[in-house]
Amino acid sequence: MRTFSSFLGRAVVTESGRHFGKCRDLRASLGRGRPSVEAVVVGRRGWLEHLGISRPSGPRKDSIPWEAVVRLDGDRIVVRDGTEPE
Amino acid sequence: MSETIDLGLLLVDHQLLDSEDRRCGNVDELVLEGGPGERLEVVAILSGPGAWRGRAGRTGRIAAWLSGGERVRVPWEEVDTIAAHVKLRKRAETLGLGRGDDRLRRYMEKIPGANR
Amino acid sequence: MKVFQIALGILAAIGGFVDIGDLVFNVSAGATFGYQLLWVVVIGVIGIIVYSEMCGRVAAVSGKAVFDAVRERLGFRTSIAALVSAQVVNLMTLTAEIGGVAICLQLLSGLPYRSLILIAGVSLAIVVWVTSFNWIERIFGYGGLCLLVFAVAAVKLHPVWSAIGHGFVPHMQTQNPLLYAYFAVGLLGAAMTPYEVYFYSSGGVEERWGPKDLGLNKANAMIGYGLGGFLSFALMIVGGSLFLGKGIEPQFLGSITLGAEVPLGQIGLLLAIVGILFAVGGAAIDTLFAGAYNLAQFLGWEWGRYRHPSGAPRFTLTWLVLLLLALGAVMTGVDPVQLTEYAVIFSAVALPLTYIPILLVANDRAYMRQYVNGRLANVLGLV
Repeated sequence: MRTFSSFLGRAVVTESGRHFGKCRDLRASLGRGRPSVEAVVVGRRGWLEHLGISRPSGPRKDSIPWEAVVRLDGDRIVVRDGTEPE
Repeated sequence: MSETIDLGLLLVDHQLLDSEDRRCGNVDELVLEGGPGERLEVVAILSGPGAWRGRAGRTGRIAAWLSGGERVRVPWEEVDTIAAHVKLRKRAETLGLGRGDDRLRRYMEKIPGANR
Repeated sequence: MKVFQIALGILAAIGGFVDIGDLVFNVSAGATFGYQLLWVVVIGVIGIIVYSEMCGRVAAVSGKAVFDAVRERLGFRTSIAALVSAQVVNLMTLTAEIGGVAICLQLLSGLPYRSLILIAGVSLAIVVWVTSFNWIERIFGYGGLCLLVFAVAAVKLHPVWSAIGHGFVPHMQTQNPLLYAYFAVGLLGAAMTPYEVYFYSSGGVEERWGPKDLGLNKANAMIGYGLGGFLSFALMIVGGSLFLGKGIEPQFLGSITLGAEVPLGQIGLLLAIVGILFAVGGAAIDTLFAGAYNLAQFLGWEWGRYRHPSGAPRFTLTWLVLLLLALGAVMTGVDPVQLTEYAVIFSAVALPLTYIPILLVANDRAYMRQYVNGRLANVLGLV
């Protein structure tokens, strides 16, 4: 049994060691049946954006697709080399 | 026709309402099944201070201990809709939620004026 | 008919605006610095108007009260911190207010303080248990209107009006900047009390405000609190006219009532005491419920002021326990006026923790209209 909060805060890295930041959320698709996780959300939401004071310039690239995850390792989420945030 | 949501933002820590719109706890934790290389799905919601143990490290454990550590598992199939609140398909008692209120109510009803 | 209702609501808001923090800080500020700090009160009033309106809007559009929003937005650790600090401040404020009620009863009846504390506490509990909240708001709101006697007193004391006008312009001429800052912070904290915001937003959710009620919400907030602000001005003017330079520090509620007695005699005194009694008593009830709301909302319990007690048992138990704790605290003989000072300063410090989540939620998902700049100005004004 895995819990949602066990994912939070884990460092997201590629097999060769490239860092994408920490997992701060999971993106899932609702539909019929159970929600299925599609992506790991990394990075921090800018505080000013959060307050609504500045707008994000363009689409933020903060999600790593779940298919790219190869293993969960101690306190890290390891993804395939060559993955790019979307 | 499927919608994508950020679980932490739109699901976790939100209020649970039962089928009669009665407040019966919060979404304190989600239970997932699956892993790398396969589907990862949300299978249940956990509600109650006991679910805090895994969150917020020591603070969570202390808070859970202070509040009695009870928690209830609500299978995902019981979820009706997700909007401002998470609405469930059945009544709270059926799902084991809101027990604190129910237990206390039996005593409180004996005090005059409590049922105005 | 609708206008009449609105007018009634506004009257209740005026009477309910002033609480023991406002009384103590406004009069003391007047006694120490004359009219120089009037401009700070203006900022405070604008602040509470903006934030109340924001909370009301959040309640109407999303169906959430402040602590629901805090829980959802700020993550677990921060919201526990917010909860604990809010409850501590709430309890301090509640204790001070009950003490204030007891003092007023003592001034009116001459009975011993200790017994009056119990009487005050029990009466509050009974009133809340038995009376419907609409009536509670009316009774305490209208009773608080007696405080208008201070407005009359302010005029009758023939203050130097040009000096008052001067006080509205931000400036500072004093050898004691630290003390000035202390009062400024205190005045802001007294005007922008967190418990009022929790109380207001929870009420909005309970009354099921919808988007169509937004106009009413704004009007209520602006007019009610705006006029309430006038009472604060009056208090400071009275403090300045009467106590400045005479070395009188209004440390006792009795001294504050002097402010009405000197210009207006016995009637002034009576009205002042009654006004304080109702305003502080009403504030005590708001604070009490705010504390119960916060806990219930954080834990997802059923809650509500309009429900009968057994409709929300844990919520009811919470406010009963809070009342008992506050009564116990007052019984220890702590001085309500001193405690008020601590409570107000603490709540001023905790203001960001209270108001930033509101800001976050109100900016999230495009609600009716976004006026980001107005809020920006207030975040600055706050922090």
